[in-house]
Amino acid sequence: MKVAWRIVYLAIFALMVFGQAAELRAQQPATEEGRSRFRTIDIFIDSRSTPLAAYQVEFEATNGVVKIVGIEGGEPEAFRHPPVYDPKAIQRDRVIIASFSTATASTLPRGKTRVATIHIQVSGDQEPKFEIKLQTAGDSQGHKISAQATFEERKAP
Amino acid sequence: MTQCRLLKTFQNRSSRRKEALICDRSRKDGPRKWSLLTSAAEVGLGTSPRPLRLVVPVSGSLILFVLLLLSGCMKRPSTLSPLPGSASGTAPGFNGGGGLTRSAVPMTPLGADEVWILARGDQTKNEAADDMPGSGALMAKLEEKMVEMPLKHTDVRASVNGYLGSVEVIQKFHNPYSSKIEAVYVFPLPHNAAVNEFIMTIGDRRIRGIIRERTEAERIYQDAKQQGYVASLLTEERPNLFTQSVANIEPGKEIDVNIRYFHTLDYVDGWYEFVFPMVVGPRFNPPGMTNGIGSAARGQQGVTGQTTEVQYLRPHERTSHDISLELDVEASVAIEQFECRTHQVISEAASPSHVTVSLNPLDTLPNKDLVFRYRVAGDRIKSALVAHRDDRGGFFTLMLYPPQEIQEMPRQPLELVFVLDCSGSMNGRPIAQAKAAIERGLGLLQRGDSFQLITFSTTASQFGDKPLEATPENVRSGLRYLRSVNSEGGTMMIEGIKAALDFRHDPRRVRFVCFLTDGFIGNETQILGAIHERLGASRIFSFGIGSSVNRYLLDHMARQGRGAVAYLGLKDSAAQIMEDFFERISHPAMTDLAVDWGALHVTEIFPRELPDLFSGRPVILTGRYSGQAVSAIHVNGKAAGQPLQVAIPATSGGATATHPALPSVWARMKIADLTEQSTYAPDPELPDAIKQVALDYSLMSAFTAFVAVDSSRRTEGTEGTTVPVAVPVPEGVKYDTTVEEK
Repeated sequence: MKVAWRIVYLAIFALMVFGQAAELRAQQPATEEGRSRFRTIDIFIDSRSTPLAAYQVEFEATNGVVKIVGIEGGEPEAFRHPPVYDPKAIQRDRVIIASFSTATASTLPRGKTRVATIHIQVSGDQEPKFEIKLQTAGDSQGHKISAQATFEERKAP
Repeated sequence: MTQCRLLKTFQNRSSRRKEALICDRSRKDGPRKWSLLTSAAEVGLGTSPRPLRLVVPVSGSLILFVLLLLSGCMKRPSTLSPLPGSASGTAPGFNGGGGLTRSAVPMTPLGADEVWILARGDQTKNEAADDMPGSGALMAKLEEKMVEMPLKHTDVRASVNGYLGSVEVIQKFHNPYSSKIEAVYVFPLPHNAAVNEFIMTIGDRRIRGIIRERTEAERIYQDAKQQGYVASLLTEERPNLFTQSVANIEPGKEIDVNIRYFHTLDYVDGWYEFVFPMVVGPRFNPPGMTNGIGSAARGQQGVTGQTTEVQYLRPHERTSHDISLELDVEASVAIEQFECRTHQVISEAASPSHVTVSLNPLDTLPNKDLVFRYRVAGDRIKSALVAHRDDRGGFFTLMLYPPQEIQEMPRQPLELVFVLDCSGSMNGRPIAQAKAAIERGLGLLQRGDSFQLITFSTTASQFGDKPLEATPENVRSGLRYLRSVNSEGGTMMIEGIKAALDFRHDPRRVRFVCFLTDGFIGNETQILGAIHERLGASRIFSFGIGSSVNRYLLDHMARQGRGAVAYLGLKDSAAQIMEDFFERISHPAMTDLAVDWGALHVTEIFPRELPDLFSGRPVILTGRYSGQAVSAIHVNGKAAGQPLQVAIPATSGGATATHPALPSVWARMKIADLTEQSTYAPDPELPDAIKQVALDYSLMSAFTAFVAVDSSRRTEGTEGTTVPVAVPVPEGVKYDTTVEEK
């Protein structure tokens, strides 16, 4: 008889422990931090000695599950306002951003400049790889210029 | 002379303020007043230049009640504690979930004077709403208590070109409390607003929000919130009702959210109207409904059981949130007259066709719609087409005015059914305005007409078994009936719809059903579906009564009812609005419209069903086109059985892109059309169709949402406490008859 009671007590104890564990699991965020995390990618354009007045850049992850969750303006005043994006491309989490400035050539940035920042959410275990392509860049006269686009993932502070 | 006794001074640890409790002893007979003085000298949060004062009237019975209520607190130290950063849920100051509230603890010795300490503890659910979390930044006085809100200011910058408006709304959120918060604000926008830009500003950094499928955006926002990132989310609850959520606002920090939208202006009886809604009216939801819009008292989140809930300030409370507005109107032709009856404005005519308007700084309480009207020169406005072409193709809008000929056609006998909303939200000035309008309407009836009066609140009742001939005796009798009705109870509008549309049509007369209501309901879909189902030969004219009516419902009732809408503000002439209505219906409408687009190849025109054209009321069509508009467009129709034609000179603008808002306006109209279809012909594919249009054109809809996350920095601590932005009830609406108090 005592054995039977012990089994009952053990069963109740096990149920309580299981219940609490289940409750704890339920309280955890839907996406665990280890599987869903946010990253910051800075986009640079190097126009060398030419003042940069306009650009269009394509940026995408070549693997992994990546969602774009914000597009921030750049560092110089000319590109402080966040660039516009192509709504059709972003549905496939490929972003095509573009911006221009009507400022005078003397106030436009030259050399390597952070023109935008892409905020992303990464899900799953796979670390994403990214690709960037400069589609076009122009000077204040509207002429196409030679430039290079790069990106850097910002380190968490 | 006021005699005050200092009872206790203490340091508010959360806000670093010095606070003092004093008792006004000068009033021996009347209720005594207790004051919490807050020194501004050490203000860390908030910027009030003078001491902030809370005055609480205290009666003996209240003291006894509070002492009893709080007897369990005796053992607890009377300290001021910061707002606990609860992992989820609502601010304790708002739903009584524990945390930072004001409680009263008796201080020894308990003698003849009532001695309290105003303290912040982690208990007292019922008093939670009387204070705000943590800061001591509550500003109050006996008559009207200023309540600090996480939404500090709304700045509106609007411009109008022709009849297209572009509006930027900047909502400035801040955290005046001592721990992190999530601010949630339910607010209105025009129901035809094409919201296509969303930018979150943190300091001098601006992050553009991304349009996403709604559930996906909500998931991203929740993830960011839980992980401590600053994030914002904009969702649409109704076409004219939105929720803004901003997560992880740190103490003392500010975050701005910029929203931009385009819309077309209404044209009513010679006036263009620019409307900016400022507050959501308290809605009634029929029993059993859970996806409506709940109206709760400040601090009582969740009591309504609705998926969307608006919290309202009590009558003696005033929000710290204010609003500024600047409007720039370029009409392209001379403006003859302009006015704003709803607000005090400062206006300047920069040129004959250009007016600038700004809200007077003395009139910044966001508790009613701003309506600015202007009339342009010329006896008669002509129909006109405006167009835009870009890499997506051509888009146009056509404002189609009724032809002059219908003004000269004879009046037909009328069957007028007045349907009056007598629910609690209409109590006071709104029902008085509605009655005055109907009274004038009865006076304008002619021999040969007939009429019926129907009232509805929780149930519907009517004046006669059937419409009565408009004889002087019947009209007098109708007036007596009208004067006897009162406003109270719920808004079971469906009962009014049934009573108004479910009886046999008299073929000798043209039947017009006039709904006079504020439209404060949460079941718009059910109402619009019922109108579509029961309309028959009737035409519905809806009259929005009040300072902040549900324009989405009123406009769509008229649209589904193939009539027109009019708005009667609290300061407008009720007689005039009814005379304008009679002028409109005294001429036959131009019906059976068909458009010959000439050389234009036109597709996807909205609204899909061309409405009837009534005198003084143009309709706006929008569509896509290809080809060149080289010849005039012709609109053919009938009025009183006679064929009529309107010719419109068409200039599509060719390759010149002069109206970049048009693609957004067209896409918004398409979404509205698909949404309307879903009210009477539910189709599982409609949500996907709406979502795809919204994603392709970066537009808000019921199935899409804007989300923005700042992933560059993680705030410390947990996700913070949710603080709903409580709003005032609209001007003229009585709190007691509309807001649930539990």
